[in-house]
Formats: sequence, C-alpha cells, structure tokens
Amino acid sequence: MSFTTASPIQAPTLDVENVSVIYPNGHQALSQATFHLGSGTICALVGVNGSGKSTLFKSIMGFVSPTSGSVRICGLPVREVLKKNLVAYVPQAEEVDWQFPVSVRDVVMMGRYGAMNFLRIPRAIDKQMVEESLGRVSMWEFRDRQIGELSGGQKKRVFLARALAQGGLVILLDEPFTGVDVKTEEAIITLLHELRAAGSIIFVSTHNLGSVPEFCDQVVLINRTVLAYGPTAEVFTAQNLTKAFGGVLREFQFEHSTIQDHDGLAVRVLSDDERPLVFGKDGHLEYKDREQHEELVKKRSEEHE
Amino acid sequence: MNEFFHELLIPFRYDYMLRAIWVSAMIGGVCGFLSSFVTLKGWSLMGDALSHAVVPGVAIAYILGLPFALGAFIAGLMAAGTMAFIKAQSRIREDATIGIVFTSFFALGLVLITLFPARVDLKVILYGNILGIAGSDIIQVVAISAVTLLVLGLKWRDLMLFCFDPNQAKTLGLRAGILHFTLLALLSATAVAALQAVGAILVIAMLVTPGATAYLLTDRFGQMLWLSSLIGVTTSLAGAYASYYLNGATGGCIVTLQTLVFLAVFIFSPKQGILAARRAIKAVAKPSTSGGLP
Repeated sequence: MSFTTASPIQAPTLDVENVSVIYPNGHQALSQATFHLGSGTICALVGVNGSGKSTLFKSIMGFVSPTSGSVRICGLPVREVLKKNLVAYVPQAEEVDWQFPVSVRDVVMMGRYGAMNFLRIPRAIDKQMVEESLGRVSMWEFRDRQIGELSGGQKKRVFLARALAQGGLVILLDEPFTGVDVKTEEAIITLLHELRAAGSIIFVSTHNLGSVPEFCDQVVLINRTVLAYGPTAEVFTAQNLTKAFGGVLREFQFEHSTIQDHDGLAVRVLSDDERPLVFGKDGHLEYKDREQHEELVKKRSEEHE
Repeated sequence: MNEFFHELLIPFRYDYMLRAIWVSAMIGGVCGFLSSFVTLKGWSLMGDALSHAVVPGVAIAYILGLPFALGAFIAGLMAAGTMAFIKAQSRIREDATIGIVFTSFFALGLVLITLFPARVDLKVILYGNILGIAGSDIIQVVAISAVTLLVLGLKWRDLMLFCFDPNQAKTLGLRAGILHFTLLALLSATAVAALQAVGAILVIAMLVTPGATAYLLTDRFGQMLWLSSLIGVTTSLAGAYASYYLNGATGGCIVTLQTLVFLAVFIFSPKQGILAARRAIKAVAKPSTSGGLP
C-alpha cells in the first residue's frame, strides 16, 4: 500500500519524455517527443494532419505503447493512472455511434463506471455526479433524450459532461469546436477555464488556430516530434507555425479594416482549414473585428493570472 | 369448444414435444439476449461465420465421442483467431477474411461428416434436431445457457460500454481485450446451443433477428435486452409448439415466426416503423402544401 493511492492527487502533471512510436507496418508516427505540463493549464496541441497528434493522444491514454520513451501522469505509468480514473477523453463526433440506444444520462453515467462496483450499479453519489455534470454543461433538461436526437453542440457538451462526471484531472479533447455553434464554443471555453482554475490539465487537439490565443495558455507544436512547447505568447509565433505547417497552410483575402497602415498594409495569415490566424508586421495578432477580440484576449489572460 | 382446447394441449402430452418446447425457449431466450450486443456491435456477419465454423468441431467431437459443445467451442475460437490473424497480417478486408475462414472451416466439417457418416448425421447439423435431442446434449445446452446468462447478467453494462465506446472503456482502465474475447466466446457458445435447435444454417437468425426487432422498438439498451430476450423466448416456444401441427421443421418454424414478428415491428413500430416515418413526413409537409398548391 502506498500513500498516493489513499490521498487524492490534486496537482496533476503530464510528462512525455522522448516518446517514439513505430507502428507494426514500420510507420514512425512520433520520434523523441518531449514536453511537460504542470497543474492548471489549457494547452493546445497543434499540427498538420498526420503529424502524430492522435498517436500522441493514444500514447497518453495508453492505447499505444511507445516503442521507446515514457509517458507519466502524476509521476505514475499510464496503466496505473487509468485505473484511478484520472484521465478523461472527449472524442470527436465521428468516433461515436449516434444511433446507439442510450440516453444522455446513460452516456454520462458511463464516466462513473470506473468508480463503481463489479456490477456497475449506480450509487447515490454516481447519480449526483451525473446530475451535477449535466447541470454544468446546461444539458440536464435533455437527460432522457436518445443521444442521436441532439445538435452538434449538445452532443459535444454531453461528452464533456461525461469527462466531468469521471472526475479526471487530465482531460483530453479531440477537436472540441468542430461542428459547434459560437454560443456553445463560448460555454465550453468558460467551463475549461473553471477546470483550469481547479487545477486540471486540459489538453486540446485543434485545427482552429484562430481560437488558440483566446483560450489556451500553452501550446505544443508537433510534426512527427515536438517542435516547440510552452506559453502561447512564446510558442505560437508566425515563425514556429510556419515551421510546423510547412507549405500546407491556406491563404485568405482580407478587407481593408484588417490591413492597416501601421502594418505597412501587410499581414501574415496562417490557417489550418478553419479560422485563420493573422499576424501584423511585427508579429502582433490581427483580427477582423479588432476591439472585441482584444478585450477577449485581455480578459482571458487576466483570468489566468 | 372443449374438444378444441383438448386439441391444443396435445403437444404437451408427448415428452419429446415438451422437451423440444422448453429447450427451444431457453435457447431462444439466451440467443435473444446476446443478439442485442451482436446487432449493435455490427457482428452479424461474424455470428454467421462462427455458427458455420463450429461445424468441424461438432463433427470431430461426435467422432471421438467427446461433448459436442467442447469441440464446437474450440473450433469457434480457432476460427475467430484465424480471422484476427489474417486481418492483422494482410491488407485483405474484414468481410473477405470472414468469408474465406468460415467457408474453409465449414468445408472441412462437411468432409469430416461424409467420411464418418455413421457417427454424425449431416442433416442434424445443418437443420437441427430438437425433437430428437439426446439427454446429454440437453445438459450441455443448459450449461451453456446458464453460463451465458450469468456472464451477461453480471457484466452487461461493461459489454454495452465496450460495444458503444471501446475507447472510453479503455480510458476507464477496463480491459477491452478481455471484453472482446468474452463477447466472442459467448457468441461461439450460444451458436453451438442454437445449432441444436435450428441447425447451422439458421443459427444466425436466432442471433440477429430478435435484437434487430427490439432495436426498432426502443431507445434504451436495458429495455432492448428485455425485449430481445422476450422475443427470443416467445418465438422459439411458439415455433416449436406450432411445428407439431404444421409437421414442419422446428428450426424453420421458429425462424419464420421471428421474421413475421420482425416484419410487423418494421411496419408498425410506434417510433421507428415505416408507417410512423410516413406519418412524420406528412405532419411536417402538411402546413407548406396547404398554403402552396391551389
């Protein structure tokens, strides 16, 4: 018996150390990936398709064993951490069978299975956690709906509620904003900030580059290995992103208001299929609707302090 | 009137009919229970494959005088293992892999049966022979049913999670590999039991139709389990009973009845039936047509 099992871990850490993954077909998906995350952070995982994002997720969740290197969560090997229900995963919409005959409440209850007994019969605490979690994502009134009868944003919130009910301290989200309306995106981001304040590690895989500076305080840039990681302001730069994405980012046309005189009428646009990220001449962030966004970024950074 | 009831009770006066009816009902219930998992996991083809792949196992067991369930179970797992191996080691698609493996096993079974015609009857394996089921075979069927019901009754929530979202099962620290194997083993075992009732060719109906029917009736997995089991029990019981009057093959009667129930539900199901779908379309279309066309 060790003391760590008796006392709940409140300050999680995620340490990925020299992780290389080679699949049985000889494909090297990751080589020597290294980064460290401490308690209370929202970290974006950014990279092109095929850069090893999902392989990295899979090795953090223990679906894939690294060929070399190690993943440790709270200082423990992944297998032990999973048994303590410390890692929660919010899947992409395509990974789920929406026609499956389960209700919203059933799905969230699945987050509690690890804490339940052999027969998985819900106790009062499990029911209470499910109700609380659904309340936090404003989905309690939909509890008896079959999951296929929800909108894209509602579906996402249900799976987020499942992660909450599980009580994971490390939460992995795969493309949380795909197919989600703006209001839900805001609600999800608010919730992620609450979780960060409570000490969780939120690790978000996203193609939505434009939203990264607005809600992530750290970034891991990958392309078959970790190119850079650290605070958003330092890592999420035009130079690093160009390195991460090579020539695959798209170009966009902008109206007059975005391209201002003080930038010499020039901006630099980076996009990975979704909202483009725009840099001015000296590397500052540019927006289509300038005032609103600057406030937002300022507010978010204050929240984190 | 009295004579009519007297007529209806005739099958129950024969031991072999009574036995056939309760054994069929039990097998039908177990297969129905499992069919909910099979249909939702998308394993219908796998079930068909396993029910054919157990044939050489049954043949060898009869030839050697061993319990048929043992031989069939081993053959079923060998087939599942072979499929998994070929799928992992080649670029051949899963459906083609299943097609190759189960036909190979079935062909081997046919060869064995024709080589030892005195020990095993091809017809019994292909079409089942619940009316003439031996006492020792009943014991095996009861054992398979009891174990299957016990495992499903205790672990149905874990298996549901495995069918719905294997990744979540893994992140919760559940052993997805063990759940996968459990479901496959139960599928092999029940395929063997159903072989006795309806024969190798119709086993798949017992393992799919009740689940598919129940799926059209409910949006809750728990209810689906009850419904599919109930449909399995009642159709098997009634099918075996009716076969006395129709003087037809028991397996054929059971499966025909299951198909009739499925068709009725397919048409009349309150939410998923085709009539309900038409009503829903009409309800949506009505307001726009009333204002549009003259």
